[in-house]
Amino acid sequence: MNDATDTASRPGREANSERGKALANVIFNAVLAALFVGLFVQAGDLPSSMWEPLGAGSFPRLILGALIIFNLAIVFQSAMALRQTDQATSEGAGRWFAQRRLAFATLTAFCVYALLMPWIGFALASLLFLLAVQIILGARRGRRLLIACLVAAVFGLGLYALFSHVFLISLPPGRLW
Amino acid sequence: MTMIDALLSSVEQLFSLATLVSMMIGVMAGVVAAAIPGFTITMAIVLTLPVTFTMPPLQGVATMLAVYVGGGSGGLISAALLGIPGTPSAVATTFDAYPMARKGEPGRALALGIWASFFGALISAVVLIVAAPPLAMIAVKLGPWEYFSLILFAVTVVASLVGKSILKGLMMSLLGLFVATVGQDPMMGVPRFTFGVDVLAAGIPFLVVLIGIFAVSQLASEVENPTALQRGESLVSGKLHFRPLAVMREVLSRPGNLLRSSMLGVVIGAVPGAGGSIANLIAYDQAKRASKTPERFGTGIADGVVASESGNSATAGGGLIPMIALGIPGSAVDAVLMAALMVQGVSVGPRLIMDSADLVYGMFLAMFLAAGMVLAFCLISMRWFLRITEIPKSIIVPVVLVCCAVGALALNNRITDLYLLIGVGLVGYLLAKLDYPLAPLVLGVILGPIAETNLRRALMADEDWTLFFTRPISAGLLILAVLSVVFTVRRLLQQRKIART
Repeated sequence: MNDATDTASRPGREANSERGKALANVIFNAVLAALFVGLFVQAGDLPSSMWEPLGAGSFPRLILGALIIFNLAIVFQSAMALRQTDQATSEGAGRWFAQRRLAFATLTAFCVYALLMPWIGFALASLLFLLAVQIILGARRGRRLLIACLVAAVFGLGLYALFSHVFLISLPPGRLW
Repeated sequence: MTMIDALLSSVEQLFSLATLVSMMIGVMAGVVAAAIPGFTITMAIVLTLPVTFTMPPLQGVATMLAVYVGGGSGGLISAALLGIPGTPSAVATTFDAYPMARKGEPGRALALGIWASFFGALISAVVLIVAAPPLAMIAVKLGPWEYFSLILFAVTVVASLVGKSILKGLMMSLLGLFVATVGQDPMMGVPRFTFGVDVLAAGIPFLVVLIGIFAVSQLASEVENPTALQRGESLVSGKLHFRPLAVMREVLSRPGNLLRSSMLGVVIGAVPGAGGSIANLIAYDQAKRASKTPERFGTGIADGVVASESGNSATAGGGLIPMIALGIPGSAVDAVLMAALMVQGVSVGPRLIMDSADLVYGMFLAMFLAAGMVLAFCLISMRWFLRITEIPKSIIVPVVLVCCAVGALALNNRITDLYLLIGVGLVGYLLAKLDYPLAPLVLGVILGPIAETNLRRALMADEDWTLFFTRPISAGLLILAVLSVVFTVRRLLQQRKIART
């Protein structure tokens, strides 16, 4: 989406996102098609069977073959759509991400949460994650911040206690202590 | 086991204190979850699943059914009081329940919806009990040819019903079928596409895919828009007055509407891929057509609320028909229920009703019981409903994300499952942004092994592949599959034509 990064203009937002989507589809589905071709070739090495006409590899190859065709069809369809939309009014990928910054910030926090969990344990990691995301999403001061702290404490520690004592499912206790 | 024994055994299991309590909690969770905009029924059920692992099979499934039935009613709350459907199944409910509430009758709007949901769920449970056993009797006689064709039909129907592009729908179904081939092959046990990675040796964990697709990616879309994050001003003020018995009579005085909407809900629920989100709109539309005063629809009349709410609640029973009788889930929620049974070691298929009769009868009874519990819970707690819809998303989203993490960890307690969850969630989010429907993927994953096993069995029994086209039932199903694609393509082309002019 690099050619569309900086030429964002105001009018026709609908067309903008259509164009961005079409371009994203061309790239995405072309990559997928290539991946499936690779897997299709690999599936050829799977053993066949003496007892049945289809071996372990036939069904996956059938599916992968169909997937390659469908992905190429979507690439073709999107490429046609791309030609029809106006080049000048394209929305930048950067802006697309910027508009969804809260969603990506939340997902990034979720990644950090997962990476920290084996070290500091489920209870503390959850507490920090809950607090951080609530602050990201706008609970910055006063009563809302207080509620955020409360929610973080109750759910972070509460879920850990609930699962380890009531359902007897142990969650990561943390390697550091 | 005779039928009476099975029934008695299921009653004994169902009416134990533990099961009743967990069902009641399930009902409350379902109602509350569906009442919160942005929290879907599927999400609630997916997150209930890990909690049920430690329960006996019937208690686990009954609890999930309770969440399901509760969710069928919960969407009504925000629909009636805020004019925002709590779940996609309650879209048509906003048409009349919200105007009614604004005209100063919020209590009546809620009570109408609650009773209509109750009767809808009841009617669908009756149809389920009548229809599932005979259908299973027929299904047992189907050969692998028919089964493979049936799955092909289910896959094409799902792909054509959801989303804007059938190409993308079919591609997602196929992707699901492919994801299911990772791990051991179902006939020979050969590892496939594992690339020497331990985690993949047993296949991609289905539960993690479910949570990632239906919860994580959905939650990410919920927080996209910073201005919409603040919700909570209730648009309907004033006290709720309700007279449950008078409203019950009002609902029952519309037997035609109630029966028609519920039956539509059952039928739509039984079609793979279609569910409450379609049923409420069709039931509303049909009620409007059948009405003598169609112009009054949308102004806040009882008929509109009854049609939408009984229609969407009746899909619960409808969706269970193909799952119990054929082992093919009717919707994403049914796929989750099926996964729950599979985790418990129960093999789902047409023989389920014979091999685990007590479990199936228990599920039937649980449907009735859950409907009654929802009714009681809603009527008692209606006064606090306004509060539920006021919880801001900045609290809901992180709390539910932590629940997702618990769900992914609960099965194997592997931290790699958590990483996989994030990966699936991110991919799911991007796919949804590119207009790929996610439900076909999930149904593909659950139907994949069944499709492959039946295809290979069919060709083992007889190498002649033309049998798929010459056996009458199999041929009929394949024709239906082709027709569903053809009709969708035609419909989409027509829509595009209209959009252009």
